[in-house]
Amino acid sequence: MWRILLGPLIRLVPIGLVALAIQRVVFGAHPVVDVKLQFVLALVVAAGAGGGADRGAVAGFVLGLMYDFSGNTPLGLMALAYGLGGMTAGYVHTFTPDPQWWLASIFAAIGAAVGEASIPLIEAITGQSGWIEQRVLVTVGVVALFAAVMCPLLMPVGRWMMGVKRRKWKAMVE
Amino acid sequence: MFSSLSRRRVIVLVVLTCLLLITLDKRGNPVIDRARGVFATVLTPFDTAAKAVSLPFQRAWDGITNYGNVQRENQALRDQIEHQKGNDVEAQSAVLEYRELLKTVQLASKFQYPWVAGQVVGDSPSNFQNTVEINVGSLQGVAVGMPVTDGAGLVGRITKVFPGRSIVLLITDPDYAIKAQVLSTPDQLKPSKPPVTTTPSGLPVNGLPSTTSTTTTTPATTTTQPAVPGSNPSTGGDTTTSTAAVTTTTLPLKVVRETGMLQGQGADKPCVLRFIDTSSSVTSVKVGAIVDTAGGNDGLAPQGIPIGRITAIQRQTGSSSALVEVTPNASLNRLNFVVVLRYVPNSDAVGP
Repeated sequence: MWRILLGPLIRLVPIGLVALAIQRVVFGAHPVVDVKLQFVLALVVAAGAGGGADRGAVAGFVLGLMYDFSGNTPLGLMALAYGLGGMTAGYVHTFTPDPQWWLASIFAAIGAAVGEASIPLIEAITGQSGWIEQRVLVTVGVVALFAAVMCPLLMPVGRWMMGVKRRKWKAMVE
Repeated sequence: MFSSLSRRRVIVLVVLTCLLLITLDKRGNPVIDRARGVFATVLTPFDTAAKAVSLPFQRAWDGITNYGNVQRENQALRDQIEHQKGNDVEAQSAVLEYRELLKTVQLASKFQYPWVAGQVVGDSPSNFQNTVEINVGSLQGVAVGMPVTDGAGLVGRITKVFPGRSIVLLITDPDYAIKAQVLSTPDQLKPSKPPVTTTPSGLPVNGLPSTTSTTTTTPATTTTQPAVPGSNPSTGGDTTTSTAAVTTTTLPLKVVRETGMLQGQGADKPCVLRFIDTSSSVTSVKVGAIVDTAGGNDGLAPQGIPIGRITAIQRQTGSSSALVEVTPNASLNRLNFVVVLRYVPNSDAVGP
């Protein structure tokens, strides 16, 4: 268990800092249809889709915690939301150990939707109500679509970040 | 591959840690605050590098997509400058009048508080936080809870402070609430005239003698120079005093104050004002009335900072009160320079 938790941290933290800077400078400053695309969440779900539910949860926890540290959200809020997102995306591995790009993208979109939708829900639970409204559906949809598009590009980064090697399939020798 | 037991342990551990951290942070923890400060310092070079790398691409993209808009905006700004030149003289005169009036009534102005000017350097990266980041922090004397304004009015309040940066919660955030008062004058009933004269700083001239009473009557003094010295002074007020060259006329100007709680509703949405006296919104408050901070011991900002104007009053079925929408004066989407008033509210009002 500790190998899952501590092993990838060396890569997660620097990659997370870069991803966070990109999120703040590029995607945070240029909303699409009034929705800020979530690059860090896309990276989390890509790591989940590439490495499995447990690694997705760890990636989401660490990157979400960094997100919390950099912003105004209560510490642990984004970590929990992104952890749930990464874990959901990682459930693609229950269907196949080596998912095709399109299957990974679908699960990345679902994971991103879960992660983004969790934020207002957790905020409401922790007493920061006011964000649960119809607009959330649009936000979640756009963020999920962005994660699906970015998944094939970010999955190799996510795999490397979490220390997962892609399986090489060989034909059986008769 | 890790066993499902190990996987379950990891997930449970992550969830429990998150819940523990949320609880600790909500209760206020100095260690977490210090860690945030350290992380902000660590993140700064990454932000700077990302800005340096992305800036040429952003400029190229803006050049392609916004060329027409920039040209139109340029033309509009040129027109505005010409218009402003005319207004500038009037504005300077208004400022002098305002200062003179302050001396006369001997009221404490909000400008008696020391202030720190800052620039907005970042926006909230999240879709569920209406915050901006400014380039002044604890090193410049900024503290949590201090109100932030720009030239037009109240912008928000400081919620997080780092050594060289601070996070400002904007007034449109649903978590933001502040005691506000509505200043209604009879002028508001006449659409041809502006409801309240304001100085360039946005402070309502007729809202200066601020008290917490529900209804007050404030005398307004105007000074006129007669065309012919020694001619008959104009009358029409309660009292008239005449000198050799100057005629001073005092007119009764009724200023109605209604106190309530202003709350944000999210980005690009007007704020909502809920009155303490529910009958207020139905009777004396009109569209166009000016809204400013009410101050008080438990107030988050000193009294008299302009917030905005009432843009809609919607009657609610089944309730005696109405939904009063207030559009902020400050352009919160285009913030650049802001001023942090070093007014430290009561800690109970700020919260953890």
